[in-house]
Order: sequence, then structure tokens, then C-alpha cells
Amino acid sequence: MGANSRPIQVDRQKIVLISILAAIIAVMSFLSPKFLQVSNFQNILLQLAPLIIIASAANLLMITGNFDLSIGSVLAFCAIMHAFLSKQGVPIGLSIVICCVLAVLWGVSNGIMVGVLNVNPVIATMGTMYAARGFAFLIARWDGGANISAGLPGNFSDFGRTNLFGVLPIIIVFMVIVVALFIFIERKTVLGRYSFAIGGNRRSSVLSGINVPGMMIVLYSLVGLLAGFCGVVQVSRVGSGFPNIAEGMEFDVVVAIVLGGTSMLGGSGSTAGMILGAFIVGTAANGLNLLNVPYFYQTITKGLLLIVSVFTDQAIRRRG
Amino acid sequence: MNGEAEMNSGDAILMSIRGLSKRFPGTQALDEVSFDIRRNSVHCIIGENGSGKSTMIKILTGALERSGGELSFEGRIYDPKSIREAMSEGVTALYQELNVVDDLTVGENLTLGREKSRLGMIRSGEIPPTLVENLKSLDETIKLSDRVGDLSVAQRQVIEIARAISTDCKMLIMDEPTAALSEEETGRMFKVIRKLSAKGITIVYISHKLSEVFEIGDRVTVLRDGRVVGDRTVDEIRNGSGCDSESEACHELIRMMLGKVVQEEYVPSRNRTEETLLEARKIRTGKLKDVSFELRRGEILGFYGLVGAGKTEIAQVLYGIDPFQGEILMDGRPVRLSGVSKALGAGITLIPEERRADGIFGELSIRENIPMMRMEKVLRNGIINRTLENQLADRSIKSMSLATNSREKKVSQLSGGNQQKVVISKCLNRESTVLLMDEPTRGVDVGAKQEIHDIIRNLANQGKGVIVFSSELPEILQLCDRIVLLYEGAVRTVLDNGRGLDGDRIMALVAGREASA
Repeated sequence: MGANSRPIQVDRQKIVLISILAAIIAVMSFLSPKFLQVSNFQNILLQLAPLIIIASAANLLMITGNFDLSIGSVLAFCAIMHAFLSKQGVPIGLSIVICCVLAVLWGVSNGIMVGVLNVNPVIATMGTMYAARGFAFLIARWDGGANISAGLPGNFSDFGRTNLFGVLPIIIVFMVIVVALFIFIERKTVLGRYSFAIGGNRRSSVLSGINVPGMMIVLYSLVGLLAGFCGVVQVSRVGSGFPNIAEGMEFDVVVAIVLGGTSMLGGSGSTAGMILGAFIVGTAANGLNLLNVPYFYQTITKGLLLIVSVFTDQAIRRRG
Repeated sequence: MNGEAEMNSGDAILMSIRGLSKRFPGTQALDEVSFDIRRNSVHCIIGENGSGKSTMIKILTGALERSGGELSFEGRIYDPKSIREAMSEGVTALYQELNVVDDLTVGENLTLGREKSRLGMIRSGEIPPTLVENLKSLDETIKLSDRVGDLSVAQRQVIEIARAISTDCKMLIMDEPTAALSEEETGRMFKVIRKLSAKGITIVYISHKLSEVFEIGDRVTVLRDGRVVGDRTVDEIRNGSGCDSESEACHELIRMMLGKVVQEEYVPSRNRTEETLLEARKIRTGKLKDVSFELRRGEILGFYGLVGAGKTEIAQVLYGIDPFQGEILMDGRPVRLSGVSKALGAGITLIPEERRADGIFGELSIRENIPMMRMEKVLRNGIINRTLENQLADRSIKSMSLATNSREKKVSQLSGGNQQKVVISKCLNRESTVLLMDEPTRGVDVGAKQEIHDIIRNLANQGKGVIVFSSELPEILQLCDRIVLLYEGAVRTVLDNGRGLDGDRIMALVAGREASA
């Protein structure tokens, strides 16, 4: 009675991902003595944290069959906005709240375009991508330069550089919380269930009375909120705001999600798979960095890794 | 003997189909279909939706692989692996969705895909003369310089036909070519078909408009539930079985299409009342003409009519999908049905006709599908509770006698009948007072059909109002307390079931062959 096909299939897929990750770790530790060290893994985690935080929400969005290309721009927009407001004397806490609200608004506008006005998600979020990036540069200009680095209040970096119990960087803490939250949403809430329903059969969802436009607005807002929040943490940690950060981050998010086994067409996927996908990309990039492989080879490797992994996964699933 | 007969007629037969079968997961779309298509004839294939017509065309044109049986074309084994291969053998199809580019001219469309080019540059002005001749012979009013977007649907079809017959076409399959045409254009299309026939091209004509069969058909094959139920010449139908008018001949075809109407036992709903649950007043849409009716608490109301009579349109209006003019009242109060959520809020639930496309979530399990329309039932403190979910799923599996070994099974892996039971469970969980069931047993095997009928009767006995939309007369006669007969978007009459209702008379009414008086 307990036998059912779904968990078995998912497990097999995860086993493939874990094997790929293990293979990368094995090869890298063999090639570089610096790889297999605690400090290096802390580095990898710090680098991956924003990606995993944002991809948690973006994964649920992709499960509905939609995606968001404005992630990097919204992140940059909120980062520079936070620096700008803080420099203008707005209290840090208030500025963080304002930036998060603005991030949600970017998401709401994406959600309205896709869910209500039925604009193709690629086009709608590409529009937001350009607009938010433009605003980021504009804000830097209002401040009178190409970036905002001088004149920030003394306590500006306190938030981003907080270490919980003196050892855990705040971004890692947020990552753990967000991941736990989204695993819960995915498995135990109506939001998660409806996401699978919409991605699996949109027409059935509409005829079942699911508020599809409302769901789109909620999911795009969550993605926007997390992107904006990561921007705030990042600018606070770095201590200066640049409008050109996180360019192309949306594609890293898509790569992690797709590697993790979420279908671009929607209807299937998991947060756990996405995390594995993110670690595959992250460890590979980190290892190549340690080996002093030039950036362009790294990019080529990333492309090949994506294609090979997805292809392997498809081949296995077709046989299964 | 048989062999001799085939030898004699061997020359006259262009395509012979023997034991053709096609199985899809959960349904047998074609079941041992055998018939011959004679050279230079207009061969009509008719049948209701789901009878297997489109599956058949797809196999003949190489778009779909068959599961069993043999085909021969011009005496040789015919086994096309692709549409291109079928075309090179001489079999081409004209689909309902036209394959012309509106923004190009007629001339450019004619040569589309086979432009003569040099180094990627199109050398214009070189339309093969045969193509131009073909076009002129079919319809001389079309000019090569016309923009296709400015032409009528029929003229666009002619362009496609001209293109199709330019590639040494021996057999042209036309899938409901007149579906989108006005009466006048239909007449013109028939002229084109006669011209094609005169050129020696065999036409396979798919339709469900019976009058067309008599107008242009030489022979007709009737499909029902994936089987051939009749294969005769049109003259035989016209003259045989004592039919002395075309209307009676039409009757005969309808009888074949819909099946023998055996008056199965009708059990009146136990708790019928005179209390009106839902009332529709003069519903009007593009298709519907002043449709009015009322549904009472505890009854099963049936809507019956041929394909295109307006059954699905009424269901869509009541479920808030299509906009309409007119008034709908629930419990005597007017309701605004401007969306699915409004209809659900008013207490109306639709169990849709196309369960795969509109009803199920195939990649999710039975357990996950069933509470989808009322998640509150499985929530505890706002969180999905697995125990509640399991209990609900087990209850539904039991009450619907769903055949499955696990509630975790993906719904896409169930048979058609069991999928339908999942859809019904999902909709019943909404606990609406009015249930619309659009073709509740289509594509479901006989046993499951009986069970679904029992479920529907139970619902009425529990005091709900049930509306059944069906194109199966036996189902309507067996199930419904009152029957609304539709013809071309209008209510023809409303009948009370029971008093020896005559299946033949109903068929005459829905075919529009009897004066409405």
C-alpha cells in the first residue's frame, strides 16, 4: 500500500544531484589543497546565501510555470536605495522597511502584468529588469555620482556584518530561516499546493476556483521582497552602494532551480533540489577560482554543467 | 470468395483499412476499424465528438502512430511515419486550422516552403504554372496579388487546397471544412469539392453535419466509440430502409451515430420538489438564443442536443466562464456570474467535459487532487493536515469505489473512469447546491458509467439540483427527470421523462427535422 511512485522518482533525481556534487568536491579537493577547508566552505556558503534565499521563492514561482528576470535589478535597486536613504538621514531600521516595501511593489507590478494583464512573463519581468536597473543608476545620480560610498552613517554596516553568537553571519541565519520557511510552504500550505496545481494544469486551476492572478501577485511579491532584502543586507555588508551589482543574477537563480529538477514548464520541483543545484554551481565556481582558472573558462564550464546535468536528469527520468 | 471479390474490385479501391486500432492510456480511441475508400469518390466519415474521427485522420496522415491493424494504399502497404511521408505517397489533409500566412500575398502563400532561391535570396515571380492553374480552376476570383488576410475563410481554404493538390495528391482529407463557413461559402466549397473530384482526386470528408453527406457524399462511414457502426453508399441510405425523404434518411444516420436507443430503466429521483433552485431567463450569447429554463431542488435536469446545439455554451454561462445577456436567479435572487469564483460563491459547481484539460491535476496524487476546491477541509490552524487529507481521500475512494491500490497514485496513471471519479470527488467537496455535469461519462467504460449514474442519482436524492449535459440519449433517458431539447442554440421543448418517452421523436426534434409545433 505504501508503495507510490513519486518519492522514489524524486529520490533518484536527488541521488544524481548528490553524486554530481560529490564528484565536483572530490575532483576539486584532489586538485587544490585549499578547497577542503572549513574557511573555504564558509566562503562558498556566504556566496551562495543570497542566491539560495531568492531562489527559494523563485523556485515556487517556477513551479507555477513562471519566472522572474528582474531579480538582479530589484536587488541592486534596493541596495542603492538603502544607501541613499541612510545617507539622507533616514534611520537604518526605517530605511530597511521602506526598501522591502519598494521591493514588494516591484513584485506586485510583475504579478499584475503576468497574472492579471496576461503579459508573457519573459517580457513583463524583462521590462521590470530594465526599469529597476535604470532607477538604481538614477538614484546614484541623485546622490551625485556613479555610486554611493562616501558619507554613509557610521552604523550603516552594523546590520550586514552582524554575526549571531559571534560566529554565524546574519545572511546565513536568514538563509536557514527562509529555506525552512519555503520547505514548509511547499509541503504544508495552500500557497504551495496551489503553486503545483497552477503549474500542473492552469485551466483546471481556474475552473477549480483557484485565484490564479492573486497567486501570481503573491509569488512575484515574495521573490521581489527576498531580492530586495538581499540587496539591503549586501549593501550593508559591503558598506557602499553600487548600481551595477548582481547583474545576471536572475540567470544564476534559474540555473540553480533547473539543476535542482524544477521543470521550466511548471508542475514539479522542490526546494531541497534547488539547494543541491545551487551548491553544484557554487562549489564548481569556487573550485575553479581556487585553481586560478580564468573567468571566461568558468563561464563556459557553468554552461556545460547546466546542459549536461539537465540532460542527464531528463534521460534518467524518461527511463524511470 | 472474399479474395475473389477483392481482386475484382482491387482497382476501384484506393485505400483499404483493416483492423485499425489506436489505444491511448485509459481509452481505446479506435477499435478494429475496417473499411475501404473507393477511388475517385467523396467518402464521408461522420460521428459525434470522441467517436474517433480525428484520431483516424491523424493516423492516415502519418501524424500519429497506430497501435494495430493494416493500411494499404493503391494496393501497396501504407505505413507513413510522418506527415511528409504521407504527402509523398499522395495523402494530404486540410485541417480546420488553416496553414496560411495572412500577411503574405496569395502568390507568396502558394510557394511558401518551396521558394526557388539562390544563396538564400528568394527569386520572386516564379510561381509554377501548375499551381496557378490549379488555383484558377478552383476559384477564378482569387488574384495572386491579393493579401491573404483580406480573403474570406473559404477562399483561404481554396489556397490551401491548391497547394495540397499541387504535390501529386491522390487523396485529400478534409476535416470539417465548412465548420467556419457561411451557407453561401459552403455552397462554393461544395463546387470546389466537385471540381476536385472531376480532377480524379479522392476526397475523405469529415463532418457532423448530416445534410452535407447527402449533398456531396458518395459513401458514408459512421463511427461511434471508435468502431465502425455503418458503412454504406449514400444512395443505399436514401433508398433503403423505406426512407422516402431526405429527412428520414437523416434519421437513419443519426440512429447510427448515436447508437440504438434502448429505453433503459429510468428511476425517478426520490425527493423531487417544486421549489426552484436556479432559474435562467432569456440567456443570450453569440451562440445561444433566448434560452430559459428552471432547475428544481432534488431533480436531475438533462440538456440534450447534437454537437453544436449549445450544451457546452449553457454550462459555460452558468459557471461564469462566458459573458451573456439575460438573467440568472438562484433561490429567487438574481446573481452576477462574471467569473468562476462568483459562480462557486453562488453555489454552482461545474464538472467539466474535458477532464484531462480542465478537471484533473495529472501530476499530483489522488490525495492532493481531492481537496483542491475546498482546502479548508484539510487545514488545521491554516496548515495542511496530512491525517485529515488521508481521511478525506480514503472516504472519497471508498464512496466512489475508486479502483486504486494507493491514494498516492498520480491521477494521470488512472483509467478514464477513475479519473472522472477523482474529478467528481474534487467537485463534490465544494458542497454546492447546483451541480453542472458536462458529459459526465464520456470516455468511461460501461461499469464505471453505471457507477457514475448512481452517484448522480444520489446527489439529486440528497436534495441538490443536478444538470446533466450529454450527447448520449440513453444516458439522458436513463437519468434525467426532465429533459431540455436544444437545437441550434435554442430550447426546442422541455419534456417530462417517464411516460413512455419516444427516443425517435427526441431524435427528430434535436435534428431540427420536426416542425417546432
